[in-house]
Amino acid sequence: MRLVRSEFLKIRTTNVWWLFVLGTFGLWAVSFFFNALQAHFVLNPPDEGIDPDQAATFAAMAKPAAMTAFLATSGQFFGLMFVLLLGILTVTNEFYHQTATTTFLATPHRTAVIVAKTAAASVFGVLLWALTTALSIAGTVIFLNIEGAEIALGDSAVIRSILLNLLAFGLWALIGVGFGVLIRSQIGATVTALVIYLVGTIAVSIIVQLLFLWLKQDWIQQIQWGMPSIASGLLVSGVDLPNQPHYWVGGLVLLAWAAVTGIIGTMITRTRDIS
Amino acid sequence: MGSEITTGEIVVSGLTKHYKEVKAVDGLSFTVKPGRVTGFLGPNGAGKTTTLRMLLNLVTPTAGTATIGGRRYADLTEPMTSVGAILEASSAHRGRTGRNHLRVICAAAGLPASLADEVLELVGLTPAATRKFKGYSLGMRQRLGIAAALLGNPQVLILDEPANGLDPEGIRWMRDLLQKLAGEGRTILVSSHLLSEMELLADDIIIIAAGRLVAQGALGDVVGNIGDVGQVRVRTPKPDELIAALEGATVTRETDGALLVTGPNAAAVGETALRAGVALHELVTERPDLEQVFLELTAGKEAIR
Repeated sequence: MRLVRSEFLKIRTTNVWWLFVLGTFGLWAVSFFFNALQAHFVLNPPDEGIDPDQAATFAAMAKPAAMTAFLATSGQFFGLMFVLLLGILTVTNEFYHQTATTTFLATPHRTAVIVAKTAAASVFGVLLWALTTALSIAGTVIFLNIEGAEIALGDSAVIRSILLNLLAFGLWALIGVGFGVLIRSQIGATVTALVIYLVGTIAVSIIVQLLFLWLKQDWIQQIQWGMPSIASGLLVSGVDLPNQPHYWVGGLVLLAWAAVTGIIGTMITRTRDIS
Repeated sequence: MGSEITTGEIVVSGLTKHYKEVKAVDGLSFTVKPGRVTGFLGPNGAGKTTTLRMLLNLVTPTAGTATIGGRRYADLTEPMTSVGAILEASSAHRGRTGRNHLRVICAAAGLPASLADEVLELVGLTPAATRKFKGYSLGMRQRLGIAAALLGNPQVLILDEPANGLDPEGIRWMRDLLQKLAGEGRTILVSSHLLSEMELLADDIIIIAAGRLVAQGALGDVVGNIGDVGQVRVRTPKPDELIAALEGATVTRETDGALLVTGPNAAAVGETALRAGVALHELVTERPDLEQVFLELTAGKEAIR
Protein backbone atom coordinates (compact mmCIF):
# COMPACT_ATOMS: atom_id res chain seq x y z
CA MET A 1 0.00 0.00 0.00
CA ARG A 2 2.80 2.40 0.86
CA LEU A 3 4.31 1.70 -2.56
CA VAL A 4 1.08 2.78 -4.22
CA ARG A 5 1.14 5.95 -2.09
CA SER A 6 4.72 6.58 -3.17
CA GLU A 7 3.89 6.04 -6.84
CA PHE A 8 0.83 8.26 -6.64
CA LEU A 9 2.93 10.93 -4.90
CA LYS A 10 5.29 10.73 -7.88
CA ILE A 11 2.40 11.49 -10.21
CA ARG A 12 1.12 14.27 -7.97
CA THR A 13 4.45 16.07 -7.53
CA THR A 14 5.13 16.88 -11.18
CA ASN A 15 3.27 18.89 -13.79
CA VAL A 16 2.09 15.89 -15.76
CA TRP A 17 -1.16 15.26 -13.89
CA TRP A 18 -2.77 18.64 -14.44
CA LEU A 19 -1.54 18.85 -18.02
CA PHE A 20 -3.23 15.49 -18.64
CA VAL A 21 -6.40 16.64 -16.88
CA LEU A 22 -6.46 19.77 -19.05
CA GLY A 23 -5.82 17.70 -22.19
CA THR A 24 -8.55 15.23 -21.28
CA PHE A 25 -10.98 18.08 -20.62
CA GLY A 26 -10.20 19.80 -23.93
CA LEU A 27 -10.45 16.64 -26.00
CA TRP A 28 -13.56 15.55 -24.10
CA ALA A 29 -15.24 18.80 -25.21
CA VAL A 30 -14.30 18.13 -28.83
CA SER A 31 -15.47 14.49 -28.60
CA PHE A 32 -18.75 15.41 -26.99
CA PHE A 33 -19.43 18.02 -29.66
CA PHE A 34 -18.97 15.50 -32.47
CA ASN A 35 -20.87 12.77 -30.63
CA ALA A 36 -23.75 15.22 -30.15
CA LEU A 37 -23.66 16.05 -33.86
CA GLN A 38 -23.83 12.36 -34.74
CA ALA A 39 -26.58 11.81 -32.17
CA HIS A 40 -28.56 14.65 -33.65
CA PHE A 41 -28.28 12.98 -37.07
CA VAL A 42 -29.32 9.59 -35.69
CA LEU A 43 -32.26 11.05 -33.78
CA ASN A 44 -33.42 12.99 -36.86
CA PRO A 45 -32.63 10.64 -39.77
CA PRO A 46 -33.27 11.89 -43.30
CA ASP A 47 -36.40 10.31 -44.79
CA GLU A 48 -34.72 8.74 -47.79
CA GLY A 49 -31.31 7.80 -49.14
CA ILE A 50 -30.41 5.34 -46.39
CA ASP A 51 -29.86 1.69 -47.17
CA PRO A 52 -31.75 -0.80 -44.99
CA ASP A 53 -28.61 -2.02 -43.15
CA GLN A 54 -27.71 1.47 -42.06
CA ALA A 55 -31.29 2.21 -41.13
CA ALA A 56 -31.29 -0.80 -38.80
CA THR A 57 -28.12 0.45 -37.11
CA PHE A 58 -29.61 3.92 -36.77
CA ALA A 59 -32.79 2.53 -35.24
CA ALA A 60 -30.77 0.49 -32.74
CA MET A 61 -28.64 3.50 -31.82
CA ALA A 62 -31.64 5.79 -31.44
CA LYS A 63 -33.11 3.64 -28.68
CA PRO A 64 -32.96 5.64 -25.43
CA ALA A 65 -30.56 3.27 -23.65
CA ALA A 66 -28.12 3.04 -26.57
CA MET A 67 -28.23 6.79 -27.16
CA THR A 68 -27.71 7.68 -23.49
CA ALA A 69 -24.86 5.19 -23.15
CA PHE A 70 -23.25 6.47 -26.34
CA LEU A 71 -23.27 10.08 -25.12
CA ALA A 72 -22.50 9.37 -21.46
CA THR A 73 -19.24 7.62 -22.37
CA SER A 74 -18.05 10.50 -24.56
CA GLY A 75 -14.40 11.40 -24.31
CA GLN A 76 -13.43 7.78 -23.73
CA PHE A 77 -11.09 7.56 -26.72
CA PHE A 78 -8.87 10.47 -25.69
CA GLY A 79 -9.29 9.87 -21.98
CA LEU A 80 -7.92 6.35 -22.44
CA MET A 81 -5.08 7.80 -24.48
CA PHE A 82 -4.00 9.92 -21.51
CA VAL A 83 -4.30 6.97 -19.15
CA LEU A 84 -2.13 4.97 -21.56
CA LEU A 85 0.43 7.79 -21.68
CA LEU A 86 0.47 8.14 -17.92
CA GLY A 87 0.98 4.40 -17.49
CA ILE A 88 3.94 4.62 -19.89
CA LEU A 89 5.41 7.66 -18.15
CA THR A 90 5.31 6.09 -14.68
CA VAL A 91 7.83 3.55 -15.98
CA THR A 92 9.90 5.47 -18.55
CA ASN A 93 10.33 8.48 -16.22
CA GLU A 94 12.35 6.22 -13.94
CA PHE A 95 14.87 5.60 -16.68
CA TYR A 96 14.70 9.04 -18.31
CA HIS A 97 15.40 10.76 -14.99
CA GLN A 98 17.61 7.92 -13.68
CA THR A 99 15.43 7.39 -10.65
CA ALA A 100 15.06 3.63 -11.18
CA THR A 101 18.09 3.11 -8.94
CA THR A 102 16.51 5.07 -6.07
CA THR A 103 13.19 3.30 -6.54
CA PHE A 104 14.67 -0.20 -6.53
CA LEU A 105 16.95 0.62 -3.60
CA ALA A 106 13.91 1.57 -1.53
CA THR A 107 12.11 -1.57 -2.73
CA PRO A 108 14.26 -4.42 -4.03
CA HIS A 109 11.07 -6.34 -4.89
CA ARG A 110 10.54 -5.18 -8.42
CA THR A 111 7.27 -6.96 -9.08
CA ALA A 112 5.76 -5.04 -6.18
CA VAL A 113 6.97 -1.78 -7.74
CA ILE A 114 5.35 -2.62 -11.09
CA VAL A 115 2.11 -3.60 -9.38
CA ALA A 116 2.17 -0.33 -7.41
CA LYS A 117 2.79 1.66 -10.58
CA THR A 118 -0.15 -0.03 -12.24
CA ALA A 119 -2.37 0.64 -9.23
CA ALA A 120 -1.34 4.32 -9.03
CA ALA A 121 -1.87 4.85 -12.75
CA SER A 122 -5.25 3.09 -12.47
CA VAL A 123 -6.25 5.42 -9.62
CA PHE A 124 -5.37 8.33 -11.88
CA GLY A 125 -7.38 6.66 -14.66
CA VAL A 126 -10.37 6.35 -12.33
CA LEU A 127 -10.13 10.07 -11.56
CA LEU A 128 -10.09 10.87 -15.28
CA TRP A 129 -13.08 8.57 -15.72
CA ALA A 130 -14.92 10.43 -12.95
CA LEU A 131 -14.14 13.75 -14.62
CA THR A 132 -15.23 12.75 -18.13
CA THR A 133 -18.25 10.83 -16.85
CA ALA A 134 -19.51 13.76 -14.75
CA LEU A 135 -19.11 16.11 -17.71
CA SER A 136 -20.68 13.65 -20.13
CA ILE A 137 -23.72 12.94 -17.95
CA ALA A 138 -24.37 16.65 -17.50
CA GLY A 139 -23.91 17.22 -21.23
CA THR A 140 -26.10 14.24 -22.12
CA VAL A 141 -28.98 15.44 -19.93
CA ILE A 142 -28.81 18.94 -21.42
CA PHE A 143 -28.47 17.72 -25.02
CA LEU A 144 -31.23 15.10 -24.91
CA ASN A 145 -33.54 17.63 -23.26
CA ILE A 146 -32.95 20.03 -26.10
CA GLU A 147 -33.55 17.21 -28.63
CA GLY A 148 -36.68 16.25 -26.76
CA ALA A 149 -35.44 12.64 -26.62
CA GLU A 150 -35.85 10.23 -23.74
CA ILE A 151 -33.02 10.11 -21.20
CA ALA A 152 -32.35 6.59 -19.93
CA LEU A 153 -29.69 7.21 -17.28
CA GLY A 154 -31.37 4.77 -14.91
CA ASP A 155 -31.40 1.97 -17.49
CA SER A 156 -29.29 -0.97 -16.37
CA ALA A 157 -27.55 -1.12 -19.77
CA VAL A 158 -26.49 2.52 -19.43
CA ILE A 159 -25.19 2.06 -15.90
CA ARG A 160 -23.35 -1.04 -17.09
CA SER A 161 -21.76 0.97 -19.91
CA ILE A 162 -20.59 3.69 -17.56
CA LEU A 163 -19.15 1.15 -15.13
CA LEU A 164 -17.50 -0.83 -17.92
CA ASN A 165 -15.99 2.45 -19.06
CA LEU A 166 -14.45 2.67 -15.57
CA LEU A 167 -12.99 -0.79 -16.09
CA ALA A 168 -11.53 0.35 -19.42
CA PHE A 169 -9.82 3.33 -17.76
CA GLY A 170 -8.28 0.99 -15.20
CA LEU A 171 -7.14 -1.63 -17.72
CA TRP A 172 -5.52 0.91 -19.99
CA ALA A 173 -3.24 1.99 -17.15
CA LEU A 174 -1.99 -1.60 -17.03
CA ILE A 175 -1.45 -1.68 -20.79
CA GLY A 176 0.47 1.61 -20.48
CA VAL A 177 2.74 0.31 -17.73
CA GLY A 178 3.42 -2.85 -19.73
CA PHE A 179 4.20 -0.77 -22.80
CA GLY A 180 6.57 1.47 -20.83
CA VAL A 181 8.50 -1.55 -19.61
CA LEU A 182 8.77 -3.02 -23.10
CA ILE A 183 10.05 0.24 -24.63
CA ARG A 184 12.22 1.91 -22.02
CA SER A 185 12.97 5.04 -24.03
CA GLN A 186 10.61 7.82 -22.98
CA ILE A 187 10.27 9.32 -26.44
CA GLY A 188 10.27 5.95 -28.18
CA ALA A 189 7.51 4.57 -25.98
CA THR A 190 5.22 7.62 -26.07
CA VAL A 191 5.57 8.18 -29.81
CA THR A 192 5.06 4.49 -30.63
CA ALA A 193 2.03 4.30 -28.36
CA LEU A 194 0.49 7.46 -29.80
CA VAL A 195 1.03 6.31 -33.37
CA ILE A 196 -0.47 2.89 -32.66
CA TYR A 197 -3.35 4.43 -30.73
CA LEU A 198 -4.25 7.26 -33.09
CA VAL A 199 -3.08 6.15 -36.54
CA GLY A 200 -3.18 2.43 -35.86
CA THR A 201 -6.82 2.46 -34.81
CA ILE A 202 -7.88 4.11 -38.05
CA ALA A 203 -5.44 2.04 -40.12
CA VAL A 204 -6.75 -1.25 -38.73
CA SER A 205 -10.33 -0.18 -39.46
CA ILE A 206 -9.47 0.75 -43.03
CA ILE A 207 -7.33 -2.33 -43.72
CA VAL A 208 -9.98 -4.65 -42.29
CA GLN A 209 -12.65 -2.90 -44.37
CA LEU A 210 -10.57 -3.20 -47.56
CA LEU A 211 -9.80 -6.88 -46.90
CA PHE A 212 -13.48 -7.47 -46.31
CA LEU A 213 -14.49 -5.78 -49.57
CA TRP A 214 -11.86 -7.83 -51.39
CA LEU A 215 -12.37 -11.28 -49.85
CA LYS A 216 -16.04 -10.96 -48.79
CA GLN A 217 -15.47 -13.05 -45.67
CA ASP A 218 -17.50 -12.07 -42.60
CA TRP A 219 -14.80 -13.13 -40.12
CA ILE A 220 -12.40 -10.52 -41.50
CA GLN A 221 -14.55 -7.72 -40.15
CA GLN A 222 -14.28 -9.26 -36.70
CA ILE A 223 -10.45 -8.94 -36.67
CA GLN A 224 -10.65 -5.25 -35.84
CA TRP A 225 -12.08 -6.01 -32.38
CA GLY A 226 -8.67 -7.37 -31.47
CA MET A 227 -7.30 -3.83 -31.59
CA PRO A 228 -7.44 -2.65 -27.97
CA SER A 229 -8.64 0.87 -28.76
CA ILE A 230 -11.54 -0.47 -30.84
CA ALA A 231 -12.25 -3.13 -28.23
CA SER A 232 -12.70 -0.52 -25.51
CA GLY A 233 -15.29 1.26 -27.67
CA LEU A 234 -17.14 -2.03 -28.04
CA LEU A 235 -16.96 -2.65 -24.29
CA VAL A 236 -19.00 0.47 -23.51
CA SER A 237 -21.46 0.30 -26.40
CA GLY A 238 -24.01 -0.81 -23.81
CA VAL A 239 -26.32 -2.62 -26.18
CA ASP A 240 -25.53 -5.04 -28.95
CA LEU A 241 -25.59 -3.34 -32.33
CA PRO A 242 -26.02 -5.34 -35.56
CA ASN A 243 -22.78 -6.81 -36.98
CA GLN A 244 -20.97 -6.43 -33.66
CA PRO A 245 -19.81 -9.05 -31.15
CA HIS A 246 -21.23 -8.90 -27.64
CA TYR A 247 -19.96 -5.98 -25.53
CA TRP A 248 -18.10 -8.27 -23.12
CA VAL A 249 -15.86 -9.52 -25.93
CA GLY A 250 -14.29 -6.03 -25.85
CA GLY A 251 -13.59 -6.49 -22.14
CA LEU A 252 -11.93 -9.87 -22.75
CA VAL A 253 -9.74 -8.40 -25.49
CA LEU A 254 -8.61 -5.58 -23.16
CA LEU A 255 -7.95 -8.02 -20.32
CA ALA A 256 -5.86 -10.17 -22.66
CA TRP A 257 -3.77 -7.22 -23.81
CA ALA A 258 -3.32 -5.95 -20.27
CA ALA A 259 -2.31 -9.40 -19.03
CA VAL A 260 0.16 -10.00 -21.85
CA THR A 261 1.91 -6.60 -21.63
CA GLY A 262 1.80 -6.65 -17.83
CA ILE A 263 3.25 -10.15 -17.44
CA ILE A 264 5.94 -9.75 -20.09
CA GLY A 265 6.82 -6.31 -18.71
CA THR A 266 7.11 -7.58 -15.15
CA MET A 267 9.25 -10.53 -16.17
CA ILE A 268 11.62 -8.23 -18.05
CA THR A 269 11.84 -5.81 -15.14
CA ARG A 270 12.62 -8.55 -12.64
CA THR A 271 15.77 -9.68 -14.41
CA ARG A 272 16.95 -6.45 -15.99
CA ASP A 273 20.22 -4.90 -14.80
CA ILE A 274 19.76 -1.34 -13.61
CA SER A 275 22.84 0.65 -14.52
CA MET B 1 19.89 2.49 13.88
CA GLY B 2 16.84 0.31 14.18
CA SER B 3 17.81 -1.97 11.35
CA GLU B 4 17.33 -5.65 10.72
CA ILE B 5 21.03 -6.37 10.38
CA THR B 6 23.13 -6.78 13.51
CA THR B 7 26.53 -6.07 12.00
CA GLY B 8 27.40 -3.73 9.17
CA GLU B 9 30.08 -5.98 7.72
CA ILE B 10 30.07 -6.24 3.94
CA VAL B 11 31.33 -9.50 2.49
CA VAL B 12 31.94 -9.93 -1.21
CA SER B 13 32.89 -13.44 -2.25
CA GLY B 14 33.87 -14.64 -5.71
CA LEU B 15 31.72 -11.94 -7.25
CA THR B 16 31.68 -12.14 -11.04
CA LYS B 17 29.81 -10.30 -13.77
CA HIS B 18 30.23 -11.15 -17.43
CA TYR B 19 28.70 -9.08 -20.14
CA LYS B 20 28.76 -10.74 -23.56
CA GLU B 21 32.51 -10.48 -24.23
CA VAL B 22 33.63 -8.52 -21.21
CA LYS B 23 34.46 -9.72 -17.71
CA ALA B 24 33.47 -6.55 -15.86
CA VAL B 25 34.06 -8.13 -12.46
CA ASP B 26 36.09 -11.31 -12.19
CA GLY B 27 36.06 -13.40 -9.02
CA LEU B 28 36.27 -10.43 -6.68
CA SER B 29 36.42 -11.04 -2.91
CA PHE B 30 36.86 -8.57 -0.07
CA THR B 31 35.38 -7.56 3.28
CA VAL B 32 34.50 -4.13 4.60
CA LYS B 33 34.52 -3.54 8.36
CA PRO B 34 32.12 -1.41 10.38
CA GLY B 35 33.30 1.76 12.11
CA ARG B 36 35.75 2.63 9.36
CA VAL B 37 35.74 4.50 6.09
CA THR B 38 36.79 2.12 3.32
CA GLY B 39 37.96 3.53 0.01
CA PHE B 40 37.12 1.46 -3.05
CA LEU B 41 39.67 2.43 -5.67
CA GLY B 42 40.33 1.60 -9.25
CA PRO B 43 40.83 3.23 -12.60
CA ASN B 44 37.77 4.05 -14.68
CA GLY B 45 36.27 0.87 -16.07
CA ALA B 46 37.78 -1.31 -13.34
CA GLY B 47 34.35 -2.59 -12.28
CA LYS B 48 33.73 -0.45 -9.18
CA THR B 49 30.22 0.65 -10.10
CA THR B 50 29.21 -2.83 -11.30
CA THR B 51 30.43 -4.29 -8.01
CA LEU B 52 28.45 -1.78 -5.94
CA ARG B 53 25.35 -2.37 -8.07
CA MET B 54 25.61 -6.12 -7.57
CA LEU B 55 25.94 -5.51 -3.83
CA LEU B 56 22.64 -3.58 -3.99
CA ASN B 57 20.69 -6.08 -6.13
CA LEU B 58 20.53 -3.69 -9.08
CA VAL B 59 22.72 -5.90 -11.26
CA THR B 60 22.48 -9.69 -11.14
CA PRO B 61 25.88 -11.37 -10.64
CA THR B 62 27.00 -14.08 -13.05
CA ALA B 63 28.54 -15.86 -10.05
CA GLY B 64 29.47 -15.25 -6.44
CA THR B 65 27.72 -13.53 -3.56
CA ALA B 66 27.63 -10.14 -1.91
CA THR B 67 26.11 -9.69 1.54
CA ILE B 68 25.61 -6.87 4.00
CA GLY B 69 25.46 -7.98 7.62
CA GLY B 70 25.13 -11.53 6.33
CA ARG B 71 22.03 -10.77 4.26
CA ARG B 72 21.60 -10.23 0.55
CA TYR B 73 20.19 -6.78 -0.19
CA ALA B 74 17.16 -8.32 -1.91
CA ASP B 75 16.35 -10.23 1.29
CA LEU B 76 16.11 -7.11 3.46
CA THR B 77 12.49 -6.21 4.17
CA GLU B 78 13.31 -2.63 5.17
CA PRO B 79 16.52 -1.97 3.21
CA MET B 80 16.52 1.80 3.68
CA THR B 81 16.90 1.44 7.45
CA SER B 82 19.94 -0.81 7.07
CA VAL B 83 21.71 0.46 3.98
CA GLY B 84 21.91 3.91 2.40
CA ALA B 85 23.38 4.29 -1.07
CA ILE B 86 24.23 7.02 -3.53
CA LEU B 87 25.02 5.71 -6.97
CA GLU B 88 24.59 8.65 -9.29
CA ALA B 89 24.37 12.38 -8.77
CA SER B 90 21.58 13.31 -11.15
CA SER B 91 18.91 10.96 -9.96
CA ALA B 92 15.68 12.84 -9.39
CA HIS B 93 12.84 13.89 -11.65
CA ARG B 94 13.80 17.28 -13.07
CA GLY B 95 10.38 18.74 -12.42
CA ARG B 96 10.09 17.58 -8.80
CA THR B 97 11.29 19.57 -5.79
CA GLY B 98 14.05 18.24 -3.58
CA ARG B 99 11.68 17.84 -0.64
CA ASN B 100 9.08 15.96 -2.71
CA HIS B 101 11.82 13.70 -4.10
CA LEU B 102 12.67 12.69 -0.54
CA ARG B 103 8.99 12.34 0.44
CA VAL B 104 8.44 9.90 -2.43
CA ILE B 105 11.27 7.76 -1.04
CA CYS B 106 9.90 8.09 2.51
CA ALA B 107 6.51 6.85 1.32
CA ALA B 108 8.05 3.86 -0.47
CA ALA B 109 10.23 2.97 2.51
CA GLY B 110 7.43 3.43 5.03
CA LEU B 111 9.26 6.27 6.78
CA PRO B 112 7.51 9.40 8.11
CA ALA B 113 7.48 12.27 5.60
CA SER B 114 8.87 14.63 8.24
CA LEU B 115 12.26 12.89 7.87
CA ALA B 116 12.63 14.64 4.51
CA ASP B 117 13.02 18.03 6.20
CA GLU B 118 15.38 16.60 8.80
CA VAL B 119 17.86 15.21 6.29
CA LEU B 120 17.60 18.35 4.14
CA GLU B 121 18.69 20.32 7.20
CA LEU B 122 21.50 17.84 7.83
CA VAL B 123 22.98 18.31 4.35
CA GLY B 124 22.35 22.06 4.29
CA LEU B 125 19.72 22.02 1.56
CA THR B 126 16.80 23.51 3.54
CA PRO B 127 16.83 26.78 1.55
CA ALA B 128 16.46 24.79 -1.70
CA ALA B 129 13.82 22.35 -0.39
CA THR B 130 10.98 23.73 -2.52
CA ARG B 131 13.06 24.35 -5.61
CA LYS B 132 12.81 22.01 -8.56
CA PHE B 133 15.64 19.56 -9.11
CA LYS B 134 16.51 20.98 -12.54
CA GLY B 135 17.66 24.18 -10.82
CA TYR B 136 20.12 22.33 -8.56
CA SER B 137 23.87 22.61 -9.09
CA LEU B 138 25.90 19.40 -9.30
CA GLY B 139 27.00 19.92 -5.71
CA MET B 140 23.40 20.34 -4.53
CA ARG B 141 22.39 17.19 -6.41
CA GLN B 142 25.15 15.30 -4.66
CA ARG B 143 23.94 16.63 -1.29
CA LEU B 144 20.38 15.59 -2.12
CA GLY B 145 21.67 12.10 -2.91
CA ILE B 146 23.40 11.94 0.46
CA ALA B 147 20.21 13.20 2.13
CA ALA B 148 18.23 10.38 0.46
CA ALA B 149 20.78 7.80 1.59
CA LEU B 150 20.56 9.02 5.20
CA LEU B 151 16.72 8.98 5.37
CA GLY B 152 16.51 5.61 7.08
CA ASN B 153 19.42 6.31 9.47
CA PRO B 154 21.25 3.31 8.00
CA GLN B 155 24.07 1.35 9.57
CA VAL B 156 25.81 0.94 6.24
CA LEU B 157 26.50 3.70 3.73
CA ILE B 158 27.62 2.96 0.17
CA LEU B 159 28.69 5.85 -2.04
CA ASP B 160 29.80 5.75 -5.67
CA GLU B 161 32.10 8.64 -6.55
CA PRO B 162 30.40 11.05 -4.12
CA ALA B 163 33.05 13.73 -4.54
CA ASN B 164 32.24 14.21 -8.23
CA GLY B 165 31.00 17.74 -8.81
CA LEU B 166 31.64 18.93 -5.28
CA ASP B 167 33.72 22.07 -4.76
CA PRO B 168 36.63 21.97 -2.29
CA GLU B 169 34.39 23.21 0.51
CA GLY B 170 31.81 20.54 -0.35
CA ILE B 171 34.47 17.82 -0.38
CA ARG B 172 35.69 18.89 3.06
CA TRP B 173 32.09 18.88 4.30
CA MET B 174 31.52 15.38 2.98
CA ARG B 175 34.79 14.13 4.42
CA ASP B 176 33.86 15.41 7.86
CA LEU B 177 30.36 13.94 7.59
CA LEU B 178 31.56 10.48 6.50
CA GLN B 179 34.26 10.35 9.17
CA LYS B 180 31.70 11.39 11.79
CA LEU B 181 29.32 8.65 10.60
CA ALA B 182 32.11 6.06 10.68
CA GLY B 183 32.97 7.26 14.18
CA GLU B 184 29.43 6.33 15.21
CA GLY B 185 30.23 2.73 14.26
CA ARG B 186 28.73 2.72 10.79
CA THR B 187 30.23 1.02 7.76
CA ILE B 188 31.21 3.50 5.05
CA LEU B 189 32.20 2.21 1.60
CA VAL B 190 33.23 4.95 -0.82
CA SER B 191 34.36 4.39 -4.37
CA SER B 192 36.59 6.91 -6.03
CA HIS B 193 39.28 7.46 -8.56
CA LEU B 194 40.33 10.61 -6.67
CA LEU B 195 43.25 9.11 -4.82
CA SER B 196 44.34 12.26 -3.08
CA GLU B 197 40.87 12.51 -1.55
CA MET B 198 41.04 8.91 -0.34
CA GLU B 199 44.34 9.52 1.42
CA LEU B 200 42.59 12.08 3.59
CA LEU B 201 39.34 10.19 4.01
CA ALA B 202 39.86 6.44 4.13
CA ASP B 203 40.95 4.18 6.98
CA ASP B 204 41.06 1.08 4.79
CA ILE B 205 41.38 0.77 1.05
CA ILE B 206 40.47 -1.82 -1.54
CA ILE B 207 42.10 -1.47 -4.92
CA ILE B 208 40.76 -3.24 -7.98
CA ALA B 209 41.78 -3.21 -11.63
CA ALA B 210 40.26 -5.01 -14.59
CA GLY B 211 37.61 -6.46 -12.28
CA ARG B 212 40.10 -8.14 -9.94
CA LEU B 213 41.37 -7.40 -6.45
CA VAL B 214 44.81 -5.80 -6.43
CA ALA B 215 45.27 -4.84 -2.81
CA GLN B 216 43.25 -4.61 0.39
CA GLY B 217 44.03 -3.42 3.91
CA ALA B 218 44.57 -0.44 6.15
CA LEU B 219 45.60 2.63 4.20
CA GLY B 220 49.01 2.83 5.91
CA ASP B 221 49.74 -0.84 5.32
CA VAL B 222 48.85 -0.81 1.67
CA VAL B 223 50.84 2.35 1.05
CA GLY B 224 53.72 1.22 3.27
CA ASN B 225 54.06 -2.39 2.13
CA ILE B 226 53.92 -1.88 -1.53
CA GLY B 227 55.95 0.54 -3.55
CA ASP B 228 59.31 2.05 -2.64
CA VAL B 229 59.50 2.06 1.13
CA GLY B 230 61.67 4.35 3.22
CA GLN B 231 63.23 6.78 0.85
CA VAL B 232 64.90 9.58 2.77
CA ARG B 233 65.72 12.95 1.29
CA VAL B 234 68.82 14.60 2.78
CA ARG B 235 70.48 17.93 2.13
CA THR B 236 73.98 18.55 3.39
CA PRO B 237 76.97 20.80 2.56
CA LYS B 238 79.21 17.67 2.56
CA PRO B 239 77.40 15.13 0.38
CA ASP B 240 80.45 13.02 -0.45
CA GLU B 241 81.31 12.43 3.22
CA LEU B 242 77.74 11.45 4.00
CA ILE B 243 77.63 9.01 1.10
CA ALA B 244 80.83 7.43 2.36
CA ALA B 245 79.42 7.16 5.88
CA LEU B 246 76.16 5.56 4.64
CA GLU B 247 77.66 2.20 3.80
CA GLY B 248 75.31 -0.33 2.25
CA ALA B 249 72.62 2.20 1.38
CA THR B 250 71.70 3.19 -2.14
CA VAL B 251 72.11 6.90 -2.62
CA THR B 252 71.17 8.90 -5.65
CA ARG B 253 71.94 12.56 -6.24
CA GLU B 254 69.08 14.79 -7.19
CA THR B 255 69.66 17.62 -9.68
CA ASP B 256 69.06 20.21 -6.96
CA GLY B 257 71.92 18.77 -4.86
CA ALA B 258 69.78 16.78 -2.44
CA LEU B 259 70.48 13.08 -1.80
CA LEU B 260 67.83 10.36 -2.00
CA VAL B 261 68.71 7.50 0.37
CA THR B 262 67.07 4.11 0.04
CA GLY B 263 67.49 1.54 2.84
CA PRO B 264 67.92 3.16 6.28
CA ASN B 265 65.12 5.23 7.72
CA ALA B 266 65.39 8.94 8.62
CA ALA B 267 66.54 8.26 12.19
CA ALA B 268 69.36 5.98 11.02
CA VAL B 269 70.49 8.52 8.42
CA GLY B 270 70.53 11.28 11.08
CA GLU B 271 72.58 9.21 13.53
CA THR B 272 75.05 8.21 10.82
CA ALA B 273 75.48 11.85 9.91
CA LEU B 274 76.09 12.80 13.56
CA ARG B 275 78.76 10.14 14.00
CA ALA B 276 80.44 11.25 10.76
CA GLY B 277 80.30 14.86 11.88
CA VAL B 278 78.29 15.92 8.84
CA ALA B 279 75.78 18.74 9.24
CA LEU B 280 72.31 18.17 7.83
CA HIS B 281 70.20 20.96 6.39
CA GLU B 282 67.21 18.84 5.53
CA LEU B 283 66.02 15.36 6.52
CA VAL B 284 62.67 14.18 5.18
CA THR B 285 61.03 10.77 4.82
CA GLU B 286 59.56 10.53 1.34
CA ARG B 287 56.42 8.42 1.73
CA PRO B 288 55.15 7.10 -1.54
CA ASP B 289 51.69 8.60 -1.91
CA LEU B 290 48.64 6.60 -2.80
CA GLU B 291 48.79 7.87 -6.34
CA GLN B 292 52.21 6.28 -6.88
CA VAL B 293 51.19 3.03 -5.24
CA PHE B 294 48.02 2.97 -7.22
CA LEU B 295 49.71 3.52 -10.55
CA GLU B 296 52.31 0.90 -9.70
CA LEU B 297 49.69 -1.65 -8.68
CA THR B 298 47.43 -1.15 -11.60
CA ALA B 299 50.12 -0.71 -14.22
CA GLY B 300 49.95 -3.28 -16.97
CA LYS B 301 46.33 -4.15 -16.22
CA GLU B 302 44.17 -3.06 -19.05
CA ALA B 303 42.00 -0.36 -17.59
CA ILE B 304 39.52 0.03 -20.38
CA ARG B 305 37.87 -2.98 -21.86
